Amino acid sequence: MSTILKKCFNLAKTVRTATITSLLTAPKQQWQALSAAASQTPHAQMMHTSPMRHGLMEFFDDPKHWSENDIKVGRAWRTDELRIKSNKELHQLWFILLKERNMLLTMEHECNDKMEIFPSPERIDKVKISMDNLEKVVRERNTAYHLLETGETGERPQKRVNNAFGLQVNYKSCEHVLPPFMNLKWIKSRNIGFGGRAVNRFLLKYREQLYNAKRKAKNRSRNEVMMILRRNPNFDLEVLRRKFPDVDIDKLRSADKARGHYVPKVGV
Amino acid sequence: MRITQFLASKLKNFSNLPKEYIERSRKQVYWQTPREKNYLPRTVERKRFRYTTNRPWTGQFRQQNMPATMRRKVLIEPVEDWSFFRGDRIEVLVGKDKGKQGIVTQVIPERNWVIVEGLNWHYRRVGAEKEFPGIIIKSEAPLHVLNDIRLVDPSDLLGTEFEWRFTEEGEKRLLWGEITFQPKLSTFEMDIMEEMGIKEERTPAKSYWY
Repeated sequence: MSTILKKCFNLAKTVRTATITSLLTAPKQQWQALSAAASQTPHAQMMHTSPMRHGLMEFFDDPKHWSENDIKVGRAWRTDELRIKSNKELHQLWFILLKERNMLLTMEHECNDKMEIFPSPERIDKVKISMDNLEKVVRERNTAYHLLETGETGERPQKRVNNAFGLQVNYKSCEHVLPPFMNLKWIKSRNIGFGGRAVNRFLLKYREQLYNAKRKAKNRSRNEVMMILRRNPNFDLEVLRRKFPDVDIDKLRSADKARGHYVPKVGV
Repeated sequence: MRITQFLASKLKNFSNLPKEYIERSRKQVYWQTPREKNYLPRTVERKRFRYTTNRPWTGQFRQQNMPATMRRKVLIEPVEDWSFFRGDRIEVLVGKDKGKQGIVTQVIPERNWVIVEGLNWHYRRVGAEKEFPGIIIKSEAPLHVLNDIRLVDPSDLLGTEFEWRFTEEGEKRLLWGEITFQPKLSTFEMDIMEEMGIKEERTPAKSYWY
């Protein structure tokens, strides 16, 4: 690494605040402080403040974490915790998570590039889980509003349609200016029917594959029950019935394969 | 949160690693169709793993499940309500430590195993060469939860049978933090716009979803 970059990192080390990392790990006190600061004075609304900028170095982790083997972080945000947060806080948290994800992906790429170990790669998953949960909560709130006001969910409409191979696929609707009967371009592009000998033969074989997979799964669970019964004849049958609902266990108990390699005790 | 769910979450998450990460780190994809429209989404990957005392996110686990190696399937008996957790006191029913009690240090539910601190151990010799005799390591072998161990009653320190029951307030929820969300007749976006002082006066043109 060149000397200029090193200087930049040293500068960043001195200036950088620990807000983002502490927000990610210890949510409680920070949020309280933030919300208190936001609601203090009306004069504060007049003054525009923006976060400290470190330029492109915000895409990189704190230099003191570079040589470490693992970095201790907390868990991901859960849906229950996010549900009690206000919209404003969720909005702020989304951008914090987004910046963190950008930083982590950059660091992973850079570590791969420089043939070094990326410390604690599970952080990426934790941020992703948090973002998924956050989006889920926002969707819940919006759906509730739309259902109350319009009677519809307000989500992008989807439906199951057949494609050119005769298979069911999910079709996500798009927004158009023209109604469908006037939109000739769309009608031409959506002119998908299926039929013909080749498609029918394909469907026959495809369904055979699906059937075979089902049949094999059934056989597998049947064999597993027989092996369990062979090894421990006194196994709790109720547990087996709940675990393998599609297997006839009473019939299998007398099966030859379910018998153990021992002489049964008679008259004891 | 029900107490069983709470315990189950403790069982899986003591390593502080999310499930997604564990799945990602043990994944072995041999072949994958390009994620394009003209390909069906097909993946050839390892489905069956041999679980041992090595955890799925470690290099040793990958060593034992090297790509393109197949090992015989291990029969796992279903255990409905898992009742053996880290820190539990149990009694060993088999082996040279039969009758002794110990604390569970590690739980391996994929094989119905627990590892008990200081019990059921053996010596391993590691790193032996021609001149060097190697190092002796004492390591604990796993114990099967259905056949080899029994939970210990903390009141009289004797091995007992047990069963799971529900309490009256079984649906207790654990929540931390201040509730700052106030229900309001607006969507997320409308609320944020109001918060930031953004006013939208344009009305969207009529559009069709299909």
